[in-house]
Amino acid sequence: MIPAATRYARAQSLDQALELLGEPDAKAIAGGQSLIPVMKLRIARPSVVVDISRLELHGIEEREGTLHIGPLTTWAELAAASLSPGLEAIPECAHGIGDVQVRNLGTIGGSVVHADPASDMPAVLLALGARLQVRSSDGERETSLEDVLVGPFTTALGTQELVTDIIVPVPQAGSGSAYVSVEHPASGFALAGAAALVEPDRERIAVTGVGATPFVVPDGGLGATEIFGDRFASDEYRRELAGVVVERARASARARSAG
Amino acid sequence: MSELIGVARPRVDAPDKVSGSTRFAADGYVHGLLHARPVLATEAHARIREIDPQAALAIPGVVAVLTAADLPIASPGTDRTSEPLAREEVVFAGQPVALVIAETEAAAQDGAELVLVDYEALPAVVDVEAAMAPGAALARTVEESDDEAGDLESIHAGVDHGQADDPQEELSGNVLDRITRERGDLAAAFAASASVVEGTFRTPWVHQAYLEPQVCTAWLEPSGTLVVSASTQGSFVTRNGLARVYDLPLDRIRVIAEPIGGSFGGKLSLVEPLACGAALALKRPVRLTLTRSEDFAATNPASAQVTHLKVGARADGTFTAIEGRMIVDRGTNAGWGAEGISSSLVTGPYRWEAYEIHAYGVQTNRFTFGAYRAPGAPTAAFALESLLDELASALGLDPIEMRLRNAVVEGDPGMSGNPLPTMGAVEVLERIREHPLWAQRDALPVDEAVGMAAGHWPGGTEPAAAVCRVDSDGSMTVVTSAADMSGVNSGFAVIAAAAFGLSPDKVRVVTADTSFGPYSGASGGSKVTYTVGAAVLRAAEAAREKVLNAASQELEIAPDDLEVVDGVVRAVGSPDRSISVEEIAKKALRFGGRYEPIEGHGGSAQTSGAPSVAAHLSHVRVDRETGEVTLLRHVIAQDVGRALNPALVEGQMRGGAVQGMGWALFEELTHDEDGRLQTGSFLDYAIPTAERVPEIETLIVEVPAPDGPFGAKGIGEAPVVGAPAAIANAVAAAIGTRLYELPLTAPRVWKALRS
Repeated sequence: MIPAATRYARAQSLDQALELLGEPDAKAIAGGQSLIPVMKLRIARPSVVVDISRLELHGIEEREGTLHIGPLTTWAELAAASLSPGLEAIPECAHGIGDVQVRNLGTIGGSVVHADPASDMPAVLLALGARLQVRSSDGERETSLEDVLVGPFTTALGTQELVTDIIVPVPQAGSGSAYVSVEHPASGFALAGAAALVEPDRERIAVTGVGATPFVVPDGGLGATEIFGDRFASDEYRRELAGVVVERARASARARSAG
Repeated sequence: MSELIGVARPRVDAPDKVSGSTRFAADGYVHGLLHARPVLATEAHARIREIDPQAALAIPGVVAVLTAADLPIASPGTDRTSEPLAREEVVFAGQPVALVIAETEAAAQDGAELVLVDYEALPAVVDVEAAMAPGAALARTVEESDDEAGDLESIHAGVDHGQADDPQEELSGNVLDRITRERGDLAAAFAASASVVEGTFRTPWVHQAYLEPQVCTAWLEPSGTLVVSASTQGSFVTRNGLARVYDLPLDRIRVIAEPIGGSFGGKLSLVEPLACGAALALKRPVRLTLTRSEDFAATNPASAQVTHLKVGARADGTFTAIEGRMIVDRGTNAGWGAEGISSSLVTGPYRWEAYEIHAYGVQTNRFTFGAYRAPGAPTAAFALESLLDELASALGLDPIEMRLRNAVVEGDPGMSGNPLPTMGAVEVLERIREHPLWAQRDALPVDEAVGMAAGHWPGGTEPAAAVCRVDSDGSMTVVTSAADMSGVNSGFAVIAAAAFGLSPDKVRVVTADTSFGPYSGASGGSKVTYTVGAAVLRAAEAAREKVLNAASQELEIAPDDLEVVDGVVRAVGSPDRSISVEEIAKKALRFGGRYEPIEGHGGSAQTSGAPSVAAHLSHVRVDRETGEVTLLRHVIAQDVGRALNPALVEGQMRGGAVQGMGWALFEELTHDEDGRLQTGSFLDYAIPTAERVPEIETLIVEVPAPDGPFGAKGIGEAPVVGAPAAIANAVAAAIGTRLYELPLTAPRVWKALRS
């Protein structure tokens, strides 16, 4: 595992980070849990890695019915967070990601923009209806997560844009959420994962690991949706798994909404 | 001081390893070191038309691009020592075809990406059964003789190689070895059976997955001596291979067996010929450290195997006949395969009225077969022990009772026809029968079950020697050349301490290199404690004799009336008449001293093996909706002869059980139809990680080995053998249907539940 030569720059401010990211093939690095492995395999060969880990984009805060998660917040912090009822899926999902070392370094923002089609937390954020605050040198914009995830390892974000806030509406009273997955025994990524939000008057379910991106399950269910298969788990098996994890996540979220 | 035996103590190497101060083979500082990076074949079978190094050589820091012709090989062959880089023919995807040597590892890697290899593709032989058919394409078109065969097989097990098979059966040139083992009237024995069951069992290629990838550093001393610092299981076997291939006198090669970060059979002369060839060609120090992906692609994992077995028993459970056809995929290993060992172990630790086993070693374009903890044994036990459960079920018998009825005891004829030495097959089966988990198996929640299985390993032998030396502070240094695997050095310390009469914390053990160390074979085959340990025992006794003679003169008491206890020589019955070992050593080790140095040399040449047997209970839960198998609990009972250090023995039992869990549920190297590896990283290749391994209960059973030091025997391999079968039997009991292919992945179990 010998990465290609690369330069390193630590951003002291958001503006400086955006400027540094203007160089062709620059890559932002926060916890490095996704970027470093692909660099070691030379799948990624950034000209410069822009270290944004010292920026003040960190923390978990609920205010005025909205949860704000700084993109540099680690899985370990999310796993330990005590959040309002209805947001249970966030710590539950964070706790199941990677191992202790990965959770201590890996960040939610890094995971979202890495856009791994089998990553866990994006499914939770989709079910909860999360939106992203995005900053570029032209200013700030807000976008839904759904619009950002466009394909495997591909987002609609520009190379000189950084996520500055992950915004999750706190579900109304009497809601519950849950995340359930079946993992690939080697990678730990979801063969199929499902996040469910059950509110008093409606529910929303998102799945991961079964398509090009994590996605919200349409009202009619997964029946008409194409499911991806691979060498380890066929599309037929994955479809079955998706059904199982959706039902389990829904049941768990329902139980929490009642409790 | 035999009360020192059987006490749990920390490993002697633990403090350095835990604190990170152990220097492994990749850590040593060497002035002027160059780094090698391999170029691995992208084709499974091809002729090399041309290798173009120009773009690589243009990278700053790149010193050389070496191909097979650049290595000073004097004795070409087709084994990995003789052909470290492919010559004209590539025989598996991942085979090293060139080395890029540079001042930094990064520059070497940049260069390795730019080496252009022009291949002419040849048919890739990837289906081992199809490869046997007459007229099948050959996995290697250039045939060369091989002289390493017997050597490497004998490292791993003391089994005879059976008879040559029936030459009537027409098979392709890919079939490199045919073995028949038969005794008794098979047809009559089957005819006398109340039940006969059969099945075809498949197991995949499985990697040793050691923590430390393969690594070697080599340099030439100004005198011309080649020094080899390696993560190897065998310093002498490595030296001898290098001497043969590079035509060097034995005394011009010094192999240092550095501390090993795991090996399990896989570290024997794979990267050493590469690093040494480069060092000899360039006359500069060269280090080659494989990356994890390269280690998956380019090394020597355990063979895939297809085992068809048919077994019968009388109504009372007495075994009658066993018939087998075993096909072992050797990959590109023309020297040896697991078929010899696997066919000798497939009858299990049981008596049979008749058997007829045919085994085949077949070449394909996948990897190079290598040893992995009990080579050929877990695969054989998976087939046999699965069918024994089917047999018990068909006959309405308790699976343990049925096995006990047939378990071998000392004096029963072994495969070779000679009487078997003592082994605790009955004892370990009785231990798991008494375990509460076995009694509870019918009262478990739905989707949970308990399975059992047994497995054995014959135990290897090889002459060995050791030296024990007492210093002027009264401490002892034990010198052997056995690579320290699985805690053998910790065992030597206790053996020497007990035999001499010292506290074990006064004993340190060093691993000598081949230039001065006493002889030892490769660490493997569950033979080191049994053979090198016996040499250490004799060396310590010889040193003790020296100290007794000196003390006899000091105390004016006959040596026979003296004893050595905790570093003090004293008169038997009058402990106040004494002199410390330290005092005697101080008198000996000085100018004008009067006594011989307190040093002893000891050797051993064991002639009888010391087989070890283990029996397992596995408690599993199956998720019927997803097919996932969860291991809830595992119990292993093993005959260890005598547990010199129970903490280490239990560690071996747990480690073996865990690697068995890998065989059972997780591990599988797969290739696409063109022979390219699909599972070449830990993202794809699953191993039993801590979160998936359940509590493992270890039950030590002691049936002393008559010739072992203090009754100890080699115990490293037996614990893996029956573990996969026990888990498979538990899964079969949980879901009511049996899977005949490992590993029992969730998709496979799910599919079985639906068919």
